[in-house]
Amino acid sequence: MQKLVFYILFLLLANNCFAQIDSSKKSEKLMEEIVITSTRTETKLSNVAVPTKIISKKYIQQTGALKLQDILQDQTGLVIVNSNLSTSLNGYPNPFSQGIQMLGLDPAYTAVLIDGEPLVGRNAGILKLGRLATGNIKQIEIVKGPSSSLYGSEAMAGVINILTDLPLNENAQAQLHASSNNTFAQTLSYSNRQEKMGVQLFMNRYSTDGYDLDNTTYGKTIDPYRDWTMNVKLTQTISPKTKMLVSFRNFDSKQDNNYQIIWQTAPAIVKGYTKEKDNSLFTQLTNNTTKNSKLFFRIFYNNYDNNSFVNLENTETRFDETSFIQSILKPEIQLESNSLNRKYIAGIGTYFETIDASRYAGKQKLTTAYTFTQNEWYFLQKKLTLIAGARLDKRTDYSINLSPRIAIAFKPTNHWKFTTSAGYGFKAPDFRHMYLNFYNAQIGYSLIGANILSDELTRLQQSGELENGIDISPYLIKNILLPEKSFGTHLGAAYSSPNLNIEMGLFRNDINNLIDVYLLPFKKTSNRSIYSYHNTNRIYTQGAEFDFKYIVSKHISLALGYQYLEAKDKAVIEEINAGKLYRRDPITYKTSLVTKADYFGLNNRSRNTFNAKITLEDQKRGLLFLFRFAFRGKYAFTDVDGDNIADNDKEFVKSYTIANFTMSKKISNHLTTQVGVDNFLNYTNSLQMPNIAGKLFFINVNYSINHLINKN
Amino acid sequence: MKRVLFFGLLASVAFSACKKSSTTNQSATDISGIKTISVAFDQLASQPFTLFRFSDSSVIANTDSASNNWDFGIRFTTFIVNSYAGGPGNAGVIMQNNIFDSVKSAPTSGYAYDTTSAQRAIKDGSWYTYNSQSHVFVPKAGKVFIFKTADGSHYAKMELLSVENGPVVPPAQTPTILYYTFRYSYKANGSPTF
Repeated sequence: MQKLVFYILFLLLANNCFAQIDSSKKSEKLMEEIVITSTRTETKLSNVAVPTKIISKKYIQQTGALKLQDILQDQTGLVIVNSNLSTSLNGYPNPFSQGIQMLGLDPAYTAVLIDGEPLVGRNAGILKLGRLATGNIKQIEIVKGPSSSLYGSEAMAGVINILTDLPLNENAQAQLHASSNNTFAQTLSYSNRQEKMGVQLFMNRYSTDGYDLDNTTYGKTIDPYRDWTMNVKLTQTISPKTKMLVSFRNFDSKQDNNYQIIWQTAPAIVKGYTKEKDNSLFTQLTNNTTKNSKLFFRIFYNNYDNNSFVNLENTETRFDETSFIQSILKPEIQLESNSLNRKYIAGIGTYFETIDASRYAGKQKLTTAYTFTQNEWYFLQKKLTLIAGARLDKRTDYSINLSPRIAIAFKPTNHWKFTTSAGYGFKAPDFRHMYLNFYNAQIGYSLIGANILSDELTRLQQSGELENGIDISPYLIKNILLPEKSFGTHLGAAYSSPNLNIEMGLFRNDINNLIDVYLLPFKKTSNRSIYSYHNTNRIYTQGAEFDFKYIVSKHISLALGYQYLEAKDKAVIEEINAGKLYRRDPITYKTSLVTKADYFGLNNRSRNTFNAKITLEDQKRGLLFLFRFAFRGKYAFTDVDGDNIADNDKEFVKSYTIANFTMSKKISNHLTTQVGVDNFLNYTNSLQMPNIAGKLFFINVNYSINHLINKN
Repeated sequence: MKRVLFFGLLASVAFSACKKSSTTNQSATDISGIKTISVAFDQLASQPFTLFRFSDSSVIANTDSASNNWDFGIRFTTFIVNSYAGGPGNAGVIMQNNIFDSVKSAPTSGYAYDTTSAQRAIKDGSWYTYNSQSHVFVPKAGKVFIFKTADGSHYAKMELLSVENGPVVPPAQTPTILYYTFRYSYKANGSPTF
């Protein structure tokens, strides 16, 4: 059905546009880059005081990449990591999902927004990046450092805001994509703005056969799937002062499940599907109350639904199923006021969240009320900017949380900018930490959320499922988890000239109350262990980043980025200092004290990451070659020898480089083709990095028509 | 790297030499070396404990459990010592965070006993970390067990080195045997000095 609608629309649009082909080129006026995420108001990038990076539409198009992770992986300071999922189907062979690590923090601590509104549906804190198609992205804004002062929980490491296209002058685009593994994608977008109304349509279908990195095991590493993405945006000028925006987004995905398990002591095949649906509706009214002030009224609704099952192939009986439905409703009002030397914003809103998941105890609801305010002052003819802001969050189950932030930017000349910022971040315990009630039949343990632990233990004891003579009273006190809290600072310096851009930054984050799994000191009568969550860890991450962009000539440009990162557990360092932490040599079995030099740091963090982009362009011939490299230094994977820190080769993943190449050729004003190879060095690691496919060849055909309407 | 290998080689030669002497040793002499014993991969309460005696480095038949002939026992990952709920003997244990070679003497007091079946001298889970990827129980490094033997008059220090899973024979999903390897030192004359 959706396919049919797609093609009908395509034909209609094609007819409409082809009749009025206009050869006039889109006016390419050099505009200063504007960002919105850092301060929640439109600000020139060059004036922003908090560390902010942008990825432009032009760059996304040059890469030819269709999924978000392919764009983010070569950005300095962003690392695409494989993190463990907390729950999946029993026996499911791939326990990882790809998420974004920012400033050395896990994916759960970065807020991912689409047009300023949250993307929901996290599994163990990870948002599946493949859910986001790139075709309608106007700009990606990346803000590093605690941003809870504007965005609340989840924005502890930073914010990635994906801004999508807005209605423009009449414009239609179509793209066909084909690549290895029988991967096909079709994209169609249409935009038009006439008089008081604007419309923007976007559709993308993506399907692939998946891939297999290990022929010795049954089933594929990644099973076949197909994704649909649709986005409709309407804008309407209601009165000279009032504008309205309505945006509807739909994502629909279906993936095969097909793997081997052990069923009644014999191998058996299970098959099924995972279906994912994500629908959101966003409405915004903008009112220019006075010449210098605006009011925004926003309502955002999102429903995320993930259902999966597998049946035993032989008997067609259900082996396992899971469901996860999360919905949020978020009304918000924001005020913005501008004067010559001051900019002020304030907002108030509520976040209603519901979750109904098969592995959580019952249907759960949470409500968070919040308010934020921020002042931006300019001094010395705008050479000096000072920002101070704070946000209050009150969730039903814990006390008020205050997240302040300050930032200063100083631009002594047109070329130099110095910035410094400091802020508090927090992350509220999520549903998983509070309500998970999961029994892993294959390995044999129970994981029980902190809020339901007392009830569950009482129930288990009454039904005789706990060991005899156990005292559960210490666990009957309602164990309310505290929010995880962080304090981050950043120091930056940037030099820019028309051909050269250099940015340097130093950062440090201290995080307290990190929530972690712990083992209860008693077991079930079946001798199965019980785990729950508590606030325990204190960690820090610190490092330096460096970005270098140089336009060598009309034809060649170069971009290099590097991040040095240290991420360590403070308790481990204290143990080392106190001479309490031991390690055992895996070869000699000799035990010795761990020294500071032995301690590499937290799992999944690379000390060194590096990226490089080389662009070769011949505008005359309409040719563009883009090489992209993302190097990730070695990182700790797991503890093998029982000292709880990674300190020998078996416990690390070796460094690797993902290299991509794209060639674009402009054939006419309307037609561009691209061919390329993703991961041309063919890096694969079926065990530790199963979500990285090997070498992939692709071809894109882009057709676009612009029709500028002269309204006068 | 080469140096590590060399030391490893040296160490293993030294240990195997010790091991050889230990197996032939009778209770009259000191024992110092590495020992591997096999324990059933079975956590059910019906599974008998595998019992071990330090003085001659031997595994004692479980039929002999009601005696002073053994010092500690293992069922899956549960340790018992020969005292109170564990057995008729006087065996006790102190778990010390230390390096094996640095433990020069056994304390004279402070030993934990198997007071009740719910309160064992060695708490289950206190000595290992479970690796959910490789499904093995890895003994924590730097934990030295100082034993007072079942007769209450001899001392031994022990360090767990590894617990390895035995082979898995399909269609079974789990091994049938766990191999416990430990290093220990036993004083035959009852001296607390190692």
